[in-house]
Amino acid sequence: MKSRSRWLRDVRNDLGLRLIAATALLLYVIFIVVPVLMSLHSSFTDENPLQSGSNFIGLANYRTMVHDGELHATVLYTLALALAVTVVANVVGIAFAVLLNRSKLSYRVLRTVAFLPQVVSGVIVGFVWKTILTEDGLLNNALTRLHLVKEPVDWLGTPHMAQLSVGIVVAWVLSGFTTVVYLAALQNIPPELYDASSIDGATSRQQFRMITLRLVAPATTISVTISLITVLKLYDVITVLTSGGPANATESTAQYIVKLAFTSDRFGYASAVAMGLLLLSAVIALSVTSFLRRREIDL
Amino acid sequence: MFRRCLTAAAAVSLLLLAACSSSPSSSGADGKVTLTYLTFNTPSLTPTFWKNSIAAAQKSVPGVTIKQVVAPNTDRDSYAKQLKASGQFPDLLQSITPSQYTSANLLQPYDQSWIDANFLLPQGNAIKGKVYIPPTNSQIIPLVFYNKQLFARAGVQPPKTWADFLAVCAKLKSAGVTPIELGGNDPFAAAVPLTGAISADVLGKDPKWLQERYAGTVKFADANVVAAATKMRTLVSDGYFEKGALNVSYADSITQFNDGKAAMYPMGSWYLGSVPKDAWDNIGVFPWPTDDGSVVVPFAVGGSMAISTHAPDIKAATAFAESWSLSPDNLKALIEGDGAFPMLKGKTLADYKVNVSPVFTDSYGYVTQTNNKVSSIGWATNDDAMPGSLNNDFYAAAQALFNTADVAGQMKKLDSAWNTASK
Repeated sequence: MKSRSRWLRDVRNDLGLRLIAATALLLYVIFIVVPVLMSLHSSFTDENPLQSGSNFIGLANYRTMVHDGELHATVLYTLALALAVTVVANVVGIAFAVLLNRSKLSYRVLRTVAFLPQVVSGVIVGFVWKTILTEDGLLNNALTRLHLVKEPVDWLGTPHMAQLSVGIVVAWVLSGFTTVVYLAALQNIPPELYDASSIDGATSRQQFRMITLRLVAPATTISVTISLITVLKLYDVITVLTSGGPANATESTAQYIVKLAFTSDRFGYASAVAMGLLLLSAVIALSVTSFLRRREIDL
Repeated sequence: MFRRCLTAAAAVSLLLLAACSSSPSSSGADGKVTLTYLTFNTPSLTPTFWKNSIAAAQKSVPGVTIKQVVAPNTDRDSYAKQLKASGQFPDLLQSITPSQYTSANLLQPYDQSWIDANFLLPQGNAIKGKVYIPPTNSQIIPLVFYNKQLFARAGVQPPKTWADFLAVCAKLKSAGVTPIELGGNDPFAAAVPLTGAISADVLGKDPKWLQERYAGTVKFADANVVAAATKMRTLVSDGYFEKGALNVSYADSITQFNDGKAAMYPMGSWYLGSVPKDAWDNIGVFPWPTDDGSVVVPFAVGGSMAISTHAPDIKAATAFAESWSLSPDNLKALIEGDGAFPMLKGKTLADYKVNVSPVFTDSYGYVTQTNNKVSSIGWATNDDAMPGSLNNDFYAAAQALFNTADVAGQMKKLDSAWNTASK
């Protein structure tokens, strides 16, 4: 009798878990799979957000992408930004994680502070940094008052400086995320390994290279992949910070897609570009993940 | 466990159902109707202004309830298109660019006899002869505002010709005064001098230039347009804009000009709403200077709201829109706060009981005087509106002129963008 009631309870619990999984799957299908399929369909049409109908135009949108200079510029910029930001955010993240990997209360508070950039909305990040980086902003005020520069720096006013500024801001945002990922990984490393290596005479640098870096390899895979994907689809921070300017120098591919869809009314073409970006992101993410996973095994 | 899971699943399902079944506009059998109204906020057009103006217009249209939809920024056209794409196109749309919607038959034209009876320029913002937004007010884009004290300090007078203007800039610079304020971090603001140069020099001589561009008989790469755009490049290369102009936001540019940090400020006439009271006697105005000193006024007739052809009750929507458009209180707020020039027939400024600065009165003079009014390139909302995303390309070209001397190359890019946008 007891075993029958346990069996019934197990079935009910199992059913409950299946229900949760089914709900998650339903949400995934509704909010991810269906929109992607709709976008794929749209990419083969001349759909316009203001017109009710659309015509099937085959691969014409994809052919247009080959000769679209503005698209090429945004893709190159987005890729460069993704690469630079991923490297910086991960280096900063692991450095912060090593520094904050202590159990004292003050370090626990600092960990929360380190994660803040990731918690704040991209729009707010954009507004705050815009206030900091403008001609009369906080940074220029501080630099001139400290006599570190004679004249305010044109942080957002020239193409190269604006690109650098966007990179710094996005790296700052992502550093919060990477710090937390690496901290979690560091806390799983048994302290005995460091103790044993100390007895064997290993220096701190050797411990970092031979123990820390190797054992956080799975975290590196997650952190690098998510950092790359986040930057490849970046929209909010750049829109508020530079509006893609000056002269489109900081226009990301995601911004270009939105501009095509809702300013140029080329919804079908925007869908094709979005499909291209999805494919590019998938290829990059898969390549990086498989490379880093192989590295995890090698280490 | 099972019950908790079931409750969670049910809650999610309900949320999904609710998300899929929203219907903001409605028309009931009891004659009551709810209409959605797309508005946008600016420092002058505040949430309080919208709340009060909507409430006042609603009183004159019993049975109509207005549900306000606020655009996240001033680009209401892009937001309206996003709403259309998601099946939520508003019933009433404030100050949009009608030409972007008319080919899709999304806007309801107003009754021409009502327009003729109430407005000074009934065809001011007409598209192919039809009016989709009541032409309640107008703007000049740009005027050049100047600081009288700084001009006096440098011993200069408001210029009339382009040569005079350059001489004034040179004298101001040598007197240690920044000649021109520009909030170039905001792309539209960066393009204001380019709008002035091309409107005055190209459209001033050929008012049908934009129609000819649509017909393909003229181009941005033509010598006269390149020459006009080169004027903006000259202002950059001679160092007449404030340092780091592309790093200055539009909001900061207003503050800096009002604080006397630069002598001149080329801007749309909406700046008049931002002139501080204690500077009313210190700010003057002159039109964008031309080669021969003739007055050319880059003009745009704006207006209130467009009506969607899909509104649940077009008659009620029209009644609300007409009531809002003719409300003296709304016009008063727009005149004082947004520097709008009123275009209602049979009314003088005094009729609105407004308290405006002398520089507003001087600026309004360019509207009421007989002079060479041409479409302000990039700002006209009539047949001269530029296609699709060309305004963005125009802004980008203006920003690019801060970093390249290849003016012809930038104009060629605009031609290419125009050809794509007008396909």
